[in-house]
Amino acid sequence: MMNKNMAAFISRNRRFIPLFATGALFFLAYTVGALNYQGMRDPQIFLNLFRTSPFLLIAAIGGTFVILTGGIDLSVGGVIALTTVASAALLRAGWDPWVVMLLMLMMGIALGATIGGFITYLKVQPFIATLAALWVTRGLCFFISDDSISIDSPIYKILSQTKILIPGLSNPITKEGDYISLLVVLALVVFGLAMYIAHYTPFGRTVYAIGGNEQSARLMGLPVNTTKVLVYTLSGFCSALAGITLSIYVGSGHGLYAQGFELTVIAAVVMGGTMLTGGAGYVFGTLFGVLILGVTQTLIQFNGQLSSWWTNIVIGALTLVFIGVQSFLAAQKTRQPGSQAKGGLLATLRKPKTLLLGGGAIVVVILAVFVLNATKTGLTPTACEMKPFRQDQAASLIKAGAVLAYERHGGPNCIDELYGVYPDGQIKGDQGDEKVEKQATAAEISALLSGIDKLGWFTEEFYSTSHTPCGQCYTYFISVSYQGQEKTVQAVDGGTDAPADYWQVVSLINGVIPHFTSAP
Amino acid sequence: MKQSKTSSVWRKITESKLFFPFSALALILLFDLIFVPNFFAIQLRDGNLYGNVIDIFRSGSTVILLAIGMTLVIATGGVDLSVGAVMAIAASIAALMMNPYVLATQLSPETQRLINDPNFTNAPLWAVILVTLFVASICGLWNGILVAYGKIQPMVATLILMIAGRGIAQLITNGVRIQIFYDPYSFIANGWLIVPFPLYIVAFMFVLTWFLTRRTAIALFIESVGTNARSSFFSGIDEKRIKLLAYTFCGFCAGMAGLVASSNIKTSDANNIGLTLELDAILAVVIGGTLMAGGRFSLLASIIGALVMQATTLSMYALGVPANAVMAIKGLVVILVILLYSEQVREFLRRVTTQKKEA
Repeated sequence: MMNKNMAAFISRNRRFIPLFATGALFFLAYTVGALNYQGMRDPQIFLNLFRTSPFLLIAAIGGTFVILTGGIDLSVGGVIALTTVASAALLRAGWDPWVVMLLMLMMGIALGATIGGFITYLKVQPFIATLAALWVTRGLCFFISDDSISIDSPIYKILSQTKILIPGLSNPITKEGDYISLLVVLALVVFGLAMYIAHYTPFGRTVYAIGGNEQSARLMGLPVNTTKVLVYTLSGFCSALAGITLSIYVGSGHGLYAQGFELTVIAAVVMGGTMLTGGAGYVFGTLFGVLILGVTQTLIQFNGQLSSWWTNIVIGALTLVFIGVQSFLAAQKTRQPGSQAKGGLLATLRKPKTLLLGGGAIVVVILAVFVLNATKTGLTPTACEMKPFRQDQAASLIKAGAVLAYERHGGPNCIDELYGVYPDGQIKGDQGDEKVEKQATAAEISALLSGIDKLGWFTEEFYSTSHTPCGQCYTYFISVSYQGQEKTVQAVDGGTDAPADYWQVVSLINGVIPHFTSAP
Repeated sequence: MKQSKTSSVWRKITESKLFFPFSALALILLFDLIFVPNFFAIQLRDGNLYGNVIDIFRSGSTVILLAIGMTLVIATGGVDLSVGAVMAIAASIAALMMNPYVLATQLSPETQRLINDPNFTNAPLWAVILVTLFVASICGLWNGILVAYGKIQPMVATLILMIAGRGIAQLITNGVRIQIFYDPYSFIANGWLIVPFPLYIVAFMFVLTWFLTRRTAIALFIESVGTNARSSFFSGIDEKRIKLLAYTFCGFCAGMAGLVASSNIKTSDANNIGLTLELDAILAVVIGGTLMAGGRFSLLASIIGALVMQATTLSMYALGVPANAVMAIKGLVVILVILLYSEQVREFLRRVTTQKKEA
């Protein structure tokens, strides 16, 4: 009896299953994170999930409507980038910030309406039309400016820096404690409006009807064409708003911003439980989709040993799982059309299976990531603190006649070694508590230097990259003085941003210098 | 009588699949002839040919390779967004096989040798190529399984690999951009035998694909699956296996393109190899007249389509348009092409011309 009630309940609320799975996954992921990492228990980290992604939420809301009609919008990233660059350029030219924002929103609306018109009246596939729009908008950015333009407008500063303290978690007198930004409030307002539009207006219902079956919607006399144009217009508006938000958040505009953002948006919408075939899904789910993306990133950051590219892999895997659950549910729906009595029994048998399958896949993914964590954590106890370059010491080495100063720090044992290489072949290494020395030939040293020079050390090909290294990675500083030129370049291994030839230089140097007995 | 004969010949030409891509190419070349001085100048150096026109083929070779595979996939009514990411995976694997020493924590004596001896490599060239193409085909197979057996929309199924693929490529190389010092490998993209070597690869792939499809019934099967998957299933064509084949082949072509691209820049740049190239390939196929909904296809038309894209890009470079801004112009070209293919626009034009005749 109990079981039957349960089955009926699940059957009645079948459409909420993807939504429920998303919510559960989010809370599960956060709980696992909070159990593993002390830092994630800080409420501010939770609030940061919102604070660092208001633009994603806004853009994903527009994307949800488009996907609900069965379409797709790939122009999001381009429109966002164009908005940041155009507003930065206009602000630099001395325009009023509010006028600029209004203009940008109008631009977004116009772009969206044009795309919608193409799709609706000229029957261009949404995929192709929005792709062309992506190219045009992103290309236009570079007609405006090749470089990033910074925004100095005081209004933008106020908008980005105003803290809204959370009552109960902060001290209103000292103005310290947990907070969110104005942009989060904006995103949540847009979110609330979108929920209202989707579920309580004729427009929203038409969107669902079109996604369910466009032909039927047309035959029912619904304004299909107008609604489709409006949906893309709404998406254009949301993208422009997201662009404004992003330009406020980062305080600059650049054509390379929001690369691949359209895919993130689609991933967020799909994880939110919206069917890519249209017609089913909730704006509410999109919020959880965005939060899951945020949690994934946060977990990877907290872990410290997983490189940033894991984000992409995990997002890809999660998208796959959610699409799998979706198509499984869709297949079930077609298998038992309408037959209530039979469906009831079959559903009882099948639905737990669905849940089990979907849930199981999700758990496997999470477990895989954490087992990976655990094994890696076992090997490397702690991540090292990022240390500043022993600049003075290295400079003094160079001043004392060294042609090359080489510093390496970090790694599993948090070492910090500094080498000085002298033209006569003398090499001195210093690790704080241990010193090494080696006498190489002068010819070896000059071969090393010319090798480094040949790799292009003094050209613009070599540039410093600096960021927090992964847990067991090393940070390198190399200063070279050769034929009157002197240059220091820093890099972190485990990142992909360092110049490719940098590691060749490191290999060359490693071939010459002595090694500490205690060093790994 | 004679007039009607010429007009029927004319109609045959204009209604041919190749007419539109060829005229688009001609239009762009005409534009170059007028606006870009010396665009058609070809120089002979050491018995090899150099020049802008040759360059269109050389730098367009990756897109052409992708377009060949993409044509088959689009003809089945699908699309493959992951080709760019597969290129990155292929490049990473190839580079890692030739130069695995970069990842070692300790300096190995091989690194010195690698830098000094251009003929030194860890794995022989044939092994590198075979393994890379095999892995790329597996990637394609994965897409095919998701689409054919998982019944996931092609766009979404391949989107997954598109997102995850670059991450996987980074994982393979541990995030390091591996340099390739092996000379025979760089010959793949940078070699010249009168004309650039990639041209031979492209020609080989075209002939191979043409034989495999048109000389067997495969092309027919693909077209029938693209036109109507259900009815072709009922007429005894294994629709799933045809799709699987198309996606696997597309992965293979992407692997080939990855080899050429990484050989060209002599590194495995997982972040940038093949970035947005999937779009170029899709658009090449669209310009070639294959419908996104699937159905009849023409390999040659797709290749011409790829050349149109490349010629547009190079003409813009020659005019001094910044590299990133060229995208906007490509986008406009695409919109123009779509409009020309759009039934609605054609209908409109037809109405205008008949009205004129009546008047």
